[in-house]
Order: sequence, then structure tokens, then C-alpha cells
Amino acid sequence: MLLLLPAGIVFKKAWFNIPQRVLAYQQLEPNITINIDTYPQVEEVRVDMAEMKVERRPVELLTSVGSCIAICVYDSIHRCGGLAHIMLPHSSLGPQEPLPSKFADTAVPALMNGIREITRAETRLSAKIAGGANMFPNTGANGLDIGAKNIRAVRASLIQHKIRLIGEDVGGSHGRRITFNVALGTTIVRLHTGETKKL
Amino acid sequence: MSTQIDLSVKEQKNCSSIFKAIGNPQVDLGILLELGSIGAGHAATSLSDILQQPITIDVPKIHQIKPHLIPQFYNLHDVPTTAIYLQLKEAFGCDILLMFESTEAKKIAAMMTMASSIEEVDPAMETSALQELANILIGSFLTSISDFIGLGLFPTTPETVVDVFDAIIDNFLIKQSMSSENALIFETRFMRSGEDAKSILMLFPSEELKGLLVKKSKSLIEE
Repeated sequence: MLLLLPAGIVFKKAWFNIPQRVLAYQQLEPNITINIDTYPQVEEVRVDMAEMKVERRPVELLTSVGSCIAICVYDSIHRCGGLAHIMLPHSSLGPQEPLPSKFADTAVPALMNGIREITRAETRLSAKIAGGANMFPNTGANGLDIGAKNIRAVRASLIQHKIRLIGEDVGGSHGRRITFNVALGTTIVRLHTGETKKL
Repeated sequence: MSTQIDLSVKEQKNCSSIFKAIGNPQVDLGILLELGSIGAGHAATSLSDILQQPITIDVPKIHQIKPHLIPQFYNLHDVPTTAIYLQLKEAFGCDILLMFESTEAKKIAAMMTMASSIEEVDPAMETSALQELANILIGSFLTSISDFIGLGLFPTTPETVVDVFDAIIDNFLIKQSMSSENALIFETRFMRSGEDAKSILMLFPSEELKGLLVKKSKSLIEE
């Protein structure tokens, strides 16, 4: 398989050791952006509902959300990060379970701890969030408007833990598929219509 | 990971053992499953009548499973899905979802509107046809249960959503996870003759509705 970069340079995948080579190339040529669609396949790790994964391997963490929130927390210095699939705004709203990633108030500190366990250092973290939709706007399914509550709770939790929110795609009435590339720190949101946004 | 009750287990119990076991949660689920099976049979007949095609129906199931594990259980994460959502009127508390793979939904809409191909069906027509189908199918399901236990169960007007499976279902799982540790889901699947795609009818009854249905059914058994 060949990888075509916008600069017209062609790399053979056999010797193109990603993502380190991509990162090195980006540092050498900061004006050249790499087209994510032509970026070679990397291992995809699915994060299921109420789950959290923290990685330093160059993988793509992915999840699909409707009213839930996907939060990606990234340490740009150590190039590692984590993704949590949050279901509920507050841990008091569900039965007591040892699942910190299920709730907005406990998922953020859990991600911070997970990243610190890898880096063994206090570093500045940044976050991107996506989701919080109201999937059935006409009937207001269940009348909970849980999506909006999740958005508010995640923002408040980030402020409380002094993590910068640098990108978001929230609300609306459509689901989102989120892929978080741990090596590059990029977050791509894809809708079922095929529309793609880079956060 | 989940508890499934199927008819074969239920059928092994004779009447006396059912009476002894009243109050047993497994028997309560068996009763719900029996009610659901009556409804599913009628719903499949309605679907067959509308589409003028033989319909295969899977043995209905009841799943008791932690809500957050349901997407893994179905493993349909990013499958494009067309879902029609209804609720029960009054205070019965039951969410009802009828879900089709999006291509299958288009095929069914084309059949209902006598279109020669799926490209001929415009989205508004597709939505309208599928909502009508859901009204008839779910109406038939609920009427058969209502007639059996003597309780009026009526659905609200339907709403259609097209998205991926996980995004559609998470709203309902959130609601379930707020009220109990395990979600209770009644599920049955329909398949048109010669097709691989299965349509899923999923009901999320509240504890109140579950209790009411079981109570009414038990009083019928005792009579």
C-alpha cells in the first residue's frame, strides 16, 4: 500500500514506520498537513459504554455516542491520552458501581490518574468532548434531556480539575463516532451521514 | 453476562410448579416472556400481511443485563439503523423500539409504496411508510396482550431516527441505568423470507409495568 502525502511524496508502507515517521515528518515540514483519510491503518481500540482506556501506544481509541459524552484527554508532552465514554452527569444518579468512567464527575479524575500512572509526572492536559445529543427531539424521548445535562457536567468537571477544553462538538440530534489518535492527539468526529469534523 | 429466558425452559414447568413458584423472579420473567410471545406472534402476522411475504420470527427473549453492557452484547456498534420509537400512553412506562438495518428499511418502504427500487422512495415517504408499519405491528403486539390480560395498552405517535445502532440505543440505556442495576429488555427478531437482515423489536418495560403485567397474568392463572 502506498501513502500519498499532499506534498506529492510517496512512502512505501514497508519502511514507513508510523506514527513516529509521521510525527518526525510533521516536525520537519510543519506547513504540510497529513490527510487523515490517507493516514495508514493503525490499531483501533473500541471504548465501550461506561468504559475508559488510557494509552501511550500509537493506537486510535474509538467510540460511538448519542446522548452520552466521549471525552478525550491528552498529554501533548508525553504523547499519551485517554478516552472515556460517559453515560451520566453525576455518580449519585445510578446504582453504586465501581465504574468511574460512567459518570462525568468521576471520569475526569480517573482519566487524569490513568495518564499520570503512565507519565509519572504532573503535566498540563487538554481535553476535547463530543456527544450529548438529543436523539429523539420531537417526542423528547424520556423527557430527561440527559444529553444537555451531560455536557454541562463534563464542562464543570473539566473546570474543577483545571483541564483546558480545546475542542468540542456537542448537542444536536445525531450520533457521533469519535476516533482519538493517541500519537497525533487528533480527534475526528464522524456522523452517520459521512460528514467529518476534526476537533 | 446476561440472563435469557426462553420458551423451552418455561414449557417444562407444569401448572402446579408455576403456582408454587409464584413470587419467584424467574417465573415473573417467564410470564412476561409468555405475554411477549403472544404479542410477537400477532405482530409477525401483521407484518406478513402488510408485506405479503412469509416472515420468520426468532424465539422471543428476555435479557436481564447491565445497561452499559448492551452495546457489546448486540455488537452492532456502527451499523446504520433506522429506528421507530414509541412509548406506552398513560403512566405505564415502557419504551418501544422497532429497528431495521437502514438498507432493509429502504427495501421494506419500497415494498409498501409499490416502488420498483429503493432509489425511487424519497426519505419522507420512507419515514411515513415505516411509521405506519410500526403503528400496525406494535399496535397488533399490544392489542393481543391487552386482550389477553384485560388492560388497555396504547402507544404514542411514532418518531423515526436514522443513525448508528449505539447512538440510537444509548438514550434508553441511560434511562435504564438510572432506575435499576440491570436493564430488562424484551426482544424479538423478524426476518423476511430469503433475506439476511433482521428487524429487532425491543421493549424496555418499567418495574411498574412489569409488576402490573405479572399481577394481571397471575390473577388469570389463579382463575
